Amino acid sequence: MSAAAVRTDNLTKHYGAVRALDQLDLHVAAGEVFGFLGPNGAGKSTTIRLLLGLARPTAGTAHLFGIPSSDVAVTHRRLAYVPADVALWPQLTGAEILELLARTGPGTDRAYQAELVDRFSLDPNKPARTYSTGNRQKVALVAAFATRAPLLILDEPTSGLDPLMEREFRTAVREACDRGQTVFLSSHQLAEVEAVCDRVAILRTGQLAEVATVNDLRRLHRTEIEVSFTGAQPDLSTVTGVDDIDTVAAGRIRFSLTGPPAPALKALAAADVATLSVREPSLEEIFLGYYGEAGR
Amino acid sequence: MTTIDTAPSTTNLTDMVSRPGRTATALTVRQVRRGAALVAVLAAAMSALVAGTHASTVSSPAQAEALAALAGNPAIRTLFGEPTDLADPGGFTVWRTGIFLAVLIGAWTLLATTRITRGEEDAGRVDLLLSGPLTARHLLRRQLVVLLTAAAIAGAAATVALLVAGTDPAGAVVHGSGLALIGMFFAGTGALTAQVFTARSAATGGAVAVLAVGLMLRMVGDGAPQLGWVRWLTPFGLTGLSRPYDTNRWLPLLVLAAATAAVTVAAVLAGRRDVRGGWVTPAAGRPPRFALLGSVPAFALRRMLRPLAGWATGIGAYFLLIGLIAESMITFLADNPHFADLAARAGFAGLDAVEGYAATLFALLALPVSGFATARITALHADETGRRWTLLCAGPRTRRSAAGAEVLITTAGSVALTLVAGAAVAAGAVVSGAPLSLTEALAGALNVLPVALLGLGAAVLALGVAPQFIGWIAALPTVGGFLLLILADSIDAPAWIAKLSPFAHLARVPAEGPQVTAAAIMLLLGGIGCVVGLATYGRRDLAT
Repeated sequence: MSAAAVRTDNLTKHYGAVRALDQLDLHVAAGEVFGFLGPNGAGKSTTIRLLLGLARPTAGTAHLFGIPSSDVAVTHRRLAYVPADVALWPQLTGAEILELLARTGPGTDRAYQAELVDRFSLDPNKPARTYSTGNRQKVALVAAFATRAPLLILDEPTSGLDPLMEREFRTAVREACDRGQTVFLSSHQLAEVEAVCDRVAILRTGQLAEVATVNDLRRLHRTEIEVSFTGAQPDLSTVTGVDDIDTVAAGRIRFSLTGPPAPALKALAAADVATLSVREPSLEEIFLGYYGEAGR
Repeated sequence: MTTIDTAPSTTNLTDMVSRPGRTATALTVRQVRRGAALVAVLAAAMSALVAGTHASTVSSPAQAEALAALAGNPAIRTLFGEPTDLADPGGFTVWRTGIFLAVLIGAWTLLATTRITRGEEDAGRVDLLLSGPLTARHLLRRQLVVLLTAAAIAGAAATVALLVAGTDPAGAVVHGSGLALIGMFFAGTGALTAQVFTARSAATGGAVAVLAVGLMLRMVGDGAPQLGWVRWLTPFGLTGLSRPYDTNRWLPLLVLAAATAAVTVAAVLAGRRDVRGGWVTPAAGRPPRFALLGSVPAFALRRMLRPLAGWATGIGAYFLLIGLIAESMITFLADNPHFADLAARAGFAGLDAVEGYAATLFALLALPVSGFATARITALHADETGRRWTLLCAGPRTRRSAAGAEVLITTAGSVALTLVAGAAVAAGAVVSGAPLSLTEALAGALNVLPVALLGLGAAVLALGVAPQFIGWIAALPTVGGFLLLILADSIDAPAWIAKLSPFAHLARVPAEGPQVTAAAIMLLLGGIGCVVGLATYGRRDLAT
């Protein structure tokens, strides 16, 4: 499959004077698990609504598998969607909603659906009005994962799930990935994104701030290095990429490093390094770094 | 930081303790004030208009006599209630508008009550409100005070209008009190069903059932003199028994006041329950019912069946009654040619034959049928804003085709309602012995369908271009057209103004053949409304 699962070019959406999304360029390859991050109001759900063709872009285009997202009768044959705030018909039971979505959706693997109902411990005989937020989310997740659609678009799908169900969710994403499905995952759960995503995009006030693999993101950002040494105190103050040098104790320093480590390692070579520990930042620290420093 | 750390002053504390109640009252007033004002204005305007035009309607003793004969007819008594002194402008107004205003005020208060009590609870908004110092029972009491006051204002508006029109003060007060008490009774009833049932639809349904049974008992009591006592069992009967502008009896109103107090107290006592809970809780689980879930049109049909059954029951019961009293009405008009003449001059020719009688009453059918269609399109928009519709729109179909399926099913429902009305009139006519065949009755009912579908077209157009105004836009050709025709007739407006109303182009089927061209134009306009509305709907952003 040559066409990208998701491609947006200059995708822009204005609501009156509000720029919800500004010139977004994204490229998600087929088979990828793609994380979509950003604070509240950054434009994540707007992007997803545009991808689904539920709203029309002010400018720019979005394509799913090479087909314009406005052609929903075609694109929706190849995707399944879990909305951020799942609303269900209150009088229908979970089983009835799953039946409705299976028979009006892009095709469902009923055996896998039954397995997922079991794994997510969903009681399908209750009317939806009695479901909690998490249970409504489970109904939508089971329906989406059971479709085997080539593209799964999940908008904060685990915000109401408990840790056990969250683990089931991660397993289901991995199974989808193993089957070659593409997963577009918008989320606030950074540990979850870190665990399941190949690449992430970070959105800020409607604009793309960064797209990279999780590892690259870490590399691009500061790594905290602590060394102890027996030789002379190394002089790192002029080394490129080194910052925040702090003498923890005699013969022990800590500094942060941005970019390739070679110059710093060269400078440390003369100091007879005894121990060296490298701590990469968590996605949460990177994320907070973006919004904490730059503001919104 | 420092400001947060300092202890709140005593004045702040007093404010926090004393305000939740007032806030609850203010919120309730905001939730009902528009409807309450509209109901009060309607009550005042209709009372003043009918009382003010009494002199021209009943200008001679002969006319008064004929009117009394008409009002005394069992069929008319069943519909309008037992007449009081029709020569008196006040008595005439009570006869003409009393039942209508009572049903209007009762229906509005019960709908408003279940909307702001169980409806707000269903939507989850009450939880937030009750997380503060306000308690659930305190909130309910505040809501009841506002609703009872709204009902009282509606009754008082009618009284003031009748006093301004110069009618007898005692009668005006008795009539207005009766109307107010009806509103209060149904506020209490709505509040009680809202405590008992755990869903707004069930609470509204329960209270509407009380209203419908009450109305039916009143009809039985007024229509059959030997069963007159059943009127003591229904709010509508009790206001009739108070006989405003006649004997001005207070005892029936005291009985109604006692009943109102009883249901209101019962509602307050029933308020001792869990928030979102009730006294009748539906089973926690049930086996799945997979019928009509296989496609979007099937699912539209599944969601329509229950409301359709409700509308069909109401419309069927009304038109069965029309059929049942047909023979009596025709005989009366045949025996009183003077009256048939009067009616003919007012544009209701041929009332003394069953075909003409049926044709005249079928014209009314366009209103409830288009009301049903509007309610379905409004429900579709509610599913959209409630985000339930999103999951179906994420499936492999265009929004236009998904909404188109709803419109198609709604059209089928409208046709079904029309057929129910035709069959009901025919069944009633068979029982009463009026010579009206099923074919004639169905033809008469189907004749008004284009007007109802014109309303549906307006509703679909509104769904696409201005979804927040679906109700108003859909009512324009139907309710608007109906009122325009009546208004144009009574103020002798130029003919072209009346011609703007779709009702002006309805042939009197089955008394005469249908106006095929007019029907085709209405269907075409309705169709254009649907097509443009659906096309716009497919292009606009989905509201979520």
